[in-house]
Amino acid sequence: MNFSLPAIIAQTALLLLLAPLLSGLIRNWKAKLQNRRGPRVWQPYFDLLKFWRKDMVISEHASWIFVATPFVLFVTALSAGLIMPMVTAQAPLGLFGGVLALVGLLALGRFFLALGGLDPASAFGGMGSSREMTLSAIAEPAMMLAIFTLAIAAGSTDLSRIVLASQGTGWNFLDPSHALAFTAMFIVLLAETGRIPVDNPATHLELTMIHEAMLLEYSGRYLALIEWGASIKQLVLMSLLANIFFPVGLAAETTPATFAMGLLWLSAKLLALAGAVVLVETCNAKLRLFRVPDLLSAAFILAMLALVSIFMFK
Amino acid sequence: MNPHTAETASNLITLLASFMLVLQLLLAVQSMLVTNIRLFALQSLLLAAIAAVVGFAYGAWHVYVVALLTIVGKVIFLPWLLERLVRQIKIEQEVRPFINMPASMLICGGLTVLAYVVARPITSLERLGSNTLAVAIALLLTGFFLMINRRKAITQVLALLTMENGVMLAAIALTTYGMPLVVEIGVFFDVVIAVMVLGILVFRIRETFSSMDVSKLNQLKW
Repeated sequence: MNFSLPAIIAQTALLLLLAPLLSGLIRNWKAKLQNRRGPRVWQPYFDLLKFWRKDMVISEHASWIFVATPFVLFVTALSAGLIMPMVTAQAPLGLFGGVLALVGLLALGRFFLALGGLDPASAFGGMGSSREMTLSAIAEPAMMLAIFTLAIAAGSTDLSRIVLASQGTGWNFLDPSHALAFTAMFIVLLAETGRIPVDNPATHLELTMIHEAMLLEYSGRYLALIEWGASIKQLVLMSLLANIFFPVGLAAETTPATFAMGLLWLSAKLLALAGAVVLVETCNAKLRLFRVPDLLSAAFILAMLALVSIFMFK
Repeated sequence: MNPHTAETASNLITLLASFMLVLQLLLAVQSMLVTNIRLFALQSLLLAAIAAVVGFAYGAWHVYVVALLTIVGKVIFLPWLLERLVRQIKIEQEVRPFINMPASMLICGGLTVLAYVVARPITSLERLGSNTLAVAIALLLTGFFLMINRRKAITQVLALLTMENGVMLAAIALTTYGMPLVVEIGVFFDVVIAVMVLGILVFRIRETFSSMDVSKLNQLKW
């Protein structure tokens, strides 16, 4: 496990720059699929720039938590991205932790976001926080179980090790535990990134919003940080899903050639995954809030079955 | 038969069997009656695919017959019959089970684990796709649970059919290329006739009680 500065810088830059593009791409494709013209692919960059230039309005009742939240969210998303193998199998900060650290960092970010929603004591913020926590209480265990399925097969919770191990076994998508875990992770991905069957990222409609409700009090630079952090989190989750289930193109050692190949494969996998997300978003209506736990518990059971079937089909 | 084909076939059977299990869980949580019937049809299609794979891998022609019968009977005929029944008696579409969705999912998950534990001593035997025994037992157990959990007669018929799918899976992937064709055809027609009789029964229940809730049959006592 080496510790190389260029790799860290490269992956940080990739996370920072690619994340808004991915959000923009999904939004654009979704519009195209619904016969709308849609915003340009790089619209999220302009949005971030716009938020950055605006003034901030902070409620006088808000405490330090409100101020700290955007930074915590941003930093946790970014560091979660750095302990994950993205372009090559070697994660830049892999020696700081594996799967558990990644899930924990994302949970820390979510915890602070919920606090940030509660802090200014607006009615919507509290509602959004309570909804987010209700859903993540089911989504997180499902995600853990799904990743553990792969970790057991690899014999390690280290993400680089998992990636290399699942590369070694080859054609394993026929493995039922793999297929089940992937389905569970995909549902969790939809929930965690606030996609349509769970939450609608495009509206501020009070009855349905979850993620947006927590952000209502934020403005200006803090909003930019939160939006950026959220899109980084989306990128992290999507490339986690792509890389641990389809570990093609992730080379064990880092050279310019393998880096370029890895980058190519990563973008191909992300494009495919984004396409799947767009399809799901277009083909489904948003679920009633009280039905969402049903969907997530389905993901939980699928992940549990995946774990069981490792032993069942041995 | 070369070992490579056997391995691929075994993998495919395991995968298809696990999808059957997933469909069973979806059946447990799906609340629309017509979707339930279609999910059952899809599950039967997977069963037919497993039969075809077994037939191909072992060159057993009579398993192809089972696959064909499954497609004709359980993928096309029975779902058509049930859907027609649903349309005829014009019942409300929503199934209201006794236990709510997340809880029944958890129970089904628990039953799957139980099935695995039960099948464990037997699956140590080396046979093609022998590990599907756990899935077959899980289908049986969750089928029982579905039957208990549902109020309406027609959904209970559906649960019976999924249980029968489990039995067929055990018969095809586990023992057969052994079980005689006569037995399979017998079991098959048994189920078809049973469903047709049950269909008429459901229709009569509906006529008498203007509902399909089987708990209303208690009124017969008075």
